[in-house]
Amino acid sequence: MAQLDKEKLSSEQVVEVDIKSAQKAHLVKEFKRQWVLIVWSLFFFAYGILFCYAPLVGWLMGFQQYKPKDGILHSKWIGLEKFRALFSDATYLRVIRNTLAMGVINLVATTIMAILFAILLNEIQGMRKKKFVQTVSYLPHFLSWIIVTGILHDALSGAGIVNELLTKFHLVSQPINFFAHEKYFWPIVAFANVWKETGWNAIIYLSAITAIDPALYEAAAIDGAGRWDKIRFVTIPGIKSTIIILLIMNVGNVLNAGFEIQYLLGNGLVQQVSQTIDIYVLKWGISQMDYSLGTAAGIFKSAVSIVLILICNEVAKRHGEERLF
Amino acid sequence: MSNTNNKKRKLSKADIAFYTFNSIFMAAFVIVTLYPVLNTLAISFNDGLDALRGGIYLLPRKFSIKNYITVFNKDDLLVGAYISVARTVVGTALSLIACAILAFIVSRKNFIFAKQLSLFWVITMYVNGGMIPIFLLYKGLHLTNTFWVYVIPGMVSAFNMLVIRTYMNGIPNSFEESAQLDGAGYTTIFLNIISPLCKPVYATVALFVAVYQWNSWFDVMLYNRMSDKLTTLQYELMKLLASVTSQSTSAQSMKNSTSSITPTSIRAAATIVTMLPIICIYPFLQQYFVSGLTLGGVKE
Amino acid sequence: MKKKVVSMLMASCMIVAALSGCASGGKSDQTSAGNSGSDGGVKEFTAFFSVPHAEINDDNEIQQIIAEKTGVKVKETWLTGQTAEEAIGTLIAGGEYPDFVDAGDGSVQMYEAGALVALDDYIDKYPNIKEFFTDQEWDSLRQSDGHIYWIPQFSNIYGEERVCAHNDEAFWIQTRVLEWAGYPQIHTMDQYFDLIEKYYAENPTMEDGTANIPYTILCEDWRYFCLENAPQFLDGYPNDGSVIVDTDNMKIVDYNTTDTAVKYFKKLNEEYKKGIVDPESFTQTYDEYIAKLSTGRVLGMIDQWWDFAYTAGDALKAAGLDAKGCQYVPLPITIEEGMHNQWHNSGGIVHTSSGLAVTTSCKDVEGALQFVNDLLSQEMMDLRFWGVKDVDYQVGDDGMYSKTQDMRDKDADTAYKASHKCEYSYFPQWEGTSRDGKNAMKPEQQETEFYDGLSDNLKNCFKAYGVKTYVEMLGTTPAPGPWYPMYTFSQTMTTATPGGTACNLMDECKHQYLPKVVMADDFDAGWAEYMEAYKKCKPEDFIAEMQTELERRVAEAAKYNN
Repeated sequence: MAQLDKEKLSSEQVVEVDIKSAQKAHLVKEFKRQWVLIVWSLFFFAYGILFCYAPLVGWLMGFQQYKPKDGILHSKWIGLEKFRALFSDATYLRVIRNTLAMGVINLVATTIMAILFAILLNEIQGMRKKKFVQTVSYLPHFLSWIIVTGILHDALSGAGIVNELLTKFHLVSQPINFFAHEKYFWPIVAFANVWKETGWNAIIYLSAITAIDPALYEAAAIDGAGRWDKIRFVTIPGIKSTIIILLIMNVGNVLNAGFEIQYLLGNGLVQQVSQTIDIYVLKWGISQMDYSLGTAAGIFKSAVSIVLILICNEVAKRHGEERLF
Repeated sequence: MSNTNNKKRKLSKADIAFYTFNSIFMAAFVIVTLYPVLNTLAISFNDGLDALRGGIYLLPRKFSIKNYITVFNKDDLLVGAYISVARTVVGTALSLIACAILAFIVSRKNFIFAKQLSLFWVITMYVNGGMIPIFLLYKGLHLTNTFWVYVIPGMVSAFNMLVIRTYMNGIPNSFEESAQLDGAGYTTIFLNIISPLCKPVYATVALFVAVYQWNSWFDVMLYNRMSDKLTTLQYELMKLLASVTSQSTSAQSMKNSTSSITPTSIRAAATIVTMLPIICIYPFLQQYFVSGLTLGGVKE
Repeated sequence: MKKKVVSMLMASCMIVAALSGCASGGKSDQTSAGNSGSDGGVKEFTAFFSVPHAEINDDNEIQQIIAEKTGVKVKETWLTGQTAEEAIGTLIAGGEYPDFVDAGDGSVQMYEAGALVALDDYIDKYPNIKEFFTDQEWDSLRQSDGHIYWIPQFSNIYGEERVCAHNDEAFWIQTRVLEWAGYPQIHTMDQYFDLIEKYYAENPTMEDGTANIPYTILCEDWRYFCLENAPQFLDGYPNDGSVIVDTDNMKIVDYNTTDTAVKYFKKLNEEYKKGIVDPESFTQTYDEYIAKLSTGRVLGMIDQWWDFAYTAGDALKAAGLDAKGCQYVPLPITIEEGMHNQWHNSGGIVHTSSGLAVTTSCKDVEGALQFVNDLLSQEMMDLRFWGVKDVDYQVGDDGMYSKTQDMRDKDADTAYKASHKCEYSYFPQWEGTSRDGKNAMKPEQQETEFYDGLSDNLKNCFKAYGVKTYVEMLGTTPAPGPWYPMYTFSQTMTTATPGGTACNLMDECKHQYLPKVVMADDFDAGWAEYMEAYKKCKPEDFIAEMQTELERRVAEAAKYNN
């Protein structure tokens, strides 16, 4: 019995050693073949450490009562006090809710619109028309928020075009004061984002569509597929990996729902739903010379973002989809 | 599938419905997106004081080119334009090369550190040390008050890298494998096989970087505020507009500067001035990612 | 394609090469403090001011003249797209400063970081600087270490005070309304709204058919003071900004909760229900507000002069609406008849919280201060604010300065201003009467110049009330005491103290509830709800800190009374 065990053991050991040495040999071989990649990787690693990770020393400020005169190295250490202050403030919890809500609504709305636009643009007959529409579509991206919100304010004011249409078609009896009601605020922000960025965001999807093998469309046509079927069975699957990658990346950004647009469109009546984390940080941190509070809020945002993308990445992995890493 | 093919075939009812819907959708879309631009254009050609009254839509009410004169009269505009062009060209070239190489590395399926390197860069998208430490870093590296602060720190963008990587992942392995059998190294594969196939995505990323570089002004203000020779067009225009942004001003500072405020019409003119070069260059890049199916045959 | 790429790369390499030369050029170009510049021994200084402001051109004509006369040129940079706090934060972190700085609210931070040069040892050497403040005022500028670090630039009056425009807050009304009613005496809020109601009932539209807006309120962000601080004026108190100082008991009173505040908001609520208050008041942006005023549709509003006069006021004139009586005059309104109003206070204000400072990066502190001293001379004051003789203004036989219409038009031209005028506007400056004893230090304070520039409608209106300026419409009261104004303290409060936190919370609460109160169906219920939320902000913390400061200021001033 013991003998047998021993034999088995040793044979197992031999196999193990074999595998190990084989792996080793394989690794060495791979190293040799991949040395170019490794050298470049080292370069990018060093670059990333220097420009992206080294400044994270600044996160220490979140655990300090940072004073410019003392600098990061000599400010008073206060541990988690700033975080405690943040999470015991009902206003902060509310701005997290607002940021999250607007972030998610914007993400869904802009993603769907950009994909829809890219697909439909691709279906336009005639290169001239297509180029014209595409050129026009991205232009609002270059207008600053102050211009876009200015136009939006005009359009939605009491005598603006929207209220005029609504009263004309008897959908409302009184003009709606859109900016005075909390319920309209998030949709208006989402609309503004869609309006400004759809054409721009669609560019990535358009370039992804160009990679689809035309033979697939031919084959679909032979099978008698109409336009809808081609979109469903060829175009969408063809750009699925791009959609998923962008979606995961943007999910990590939901807490960066913005500052400027909410600031420009908001007012006292809707501040309960309009204030975002960034506005809060400006108001209670930076403009009070409290840099630590802003840093603490930033660390919190980073932590949430990273958790979110890890989850999304895992989900994508489970479903065998394209993933970030 | 090309257009000629399509015309030969008879259109089904569903297809007709589809095209009708599509045309209406696109027409509406064009109107809605063109309007703010035309509105800005109209205001930019309107007399400044008159524009304050509002109510200008598609045509100027009181025509004037004074806003453009004011914009072009801005000091240092020429130096700014030169630096803007330079940083756009150099920045785009460097960034595209860097992102493409990095994307190539992490899209090699058997590369041993592919995942780790991806994760390493993905995280950079969501962490930020803050303005002060970054400023100190650049100062320590002697990047402040140099041109290089515009192009070196932002050279690798994880977002753009991932966009390229996704595209590269879509290219069948067979290309790489057959090249390898021919004894090609990774450098050859990258330059001669993968890159030519990635033209559309390179064009896309180049566009993103170029626009980012062209529109940047915050880094000019932060790092090169004192160097007149390194100013950019956007920063000069931002300075012109700074007196109109009410965001960070207080009653006290407003009260002290009894000068009149820059009218909205100058803001509009400045917007048009910065948009124009982009609109002019755009078609050259556009052909790579819009022509799509007619270019076709990328894969075969 | 390959060729294209290669050539593009080549081109970019060449640009890189060209730029590396440029980059090093940029480096050496960075003007270090007090270096002799290129043109004829002119010293060049740099300055940063933490406010947004229009830049002047490098080849600015008056700047050139000043440089020739004083031997100094200052390159000014202003705040762009950042908050003042962010800008000062990076400045301190970097440890390199421009020669001059006005750090605004960040001044104390700059001082704490050891970035500023103590000025007290220098002041005596420069007569014009020394003259700028009294000893008491200089002492009020001392920081915790007993030294003086900055010189407040504004609101300092030389000789007799000269004011024409009421640069502060008031209930404003269009002259056409007053003319229509035969220029009645309007002294209370009730009379004011009564007049507007009557006029509006008979004149719902303008001549061209545009609907009139009887009364609007600007509420955007920090500009909402137009809504919230009126109760202090209605009670006959001056603009202490954040509180009322009860001079009988020397007690701080919270104007947000006084009976007058209730009456004021109740009145607004009633007028809102009657359709007199513009329903878009609480959602409009500043741009929209200015647009409304510029069309001449708005009959009345409460605001500070500088907030609308330089934009909407100019637009009204440009559109010829001044001839239709659409310009605004202020009214001396209080809550009850027969009260003394203090909408306008005479005398200067020392804003102790910030000012022009010289930094430790400045290599020639004496040269810098010599320049500040020179700028305060009469010749330089005239050059900075009046401009070049016979180009920007003319001198009459009696020695009085005036402008032709052509000169006034040029003053309003942005491009001309950038290339010609150089006020060094954030360097110390005088208000009041020129050292020649006749002219005003600044053109906008020159009475004859002011009166000549008025439209006929305004002249008629002023004539009817027997006055010659906006200020006379309201009457003037001297500043109530050495503590005035209290807002120079409340502005420096931060969330580091309970009072500062309370102040911030109250601000947020008022932003949210005041519009609701005005629009409430049931005013009393709305007010009760507001008060409940308001009390949660702990206003007593804020009041207590203000009280301490008041007592400190009074005690400080008492030292100089002997």
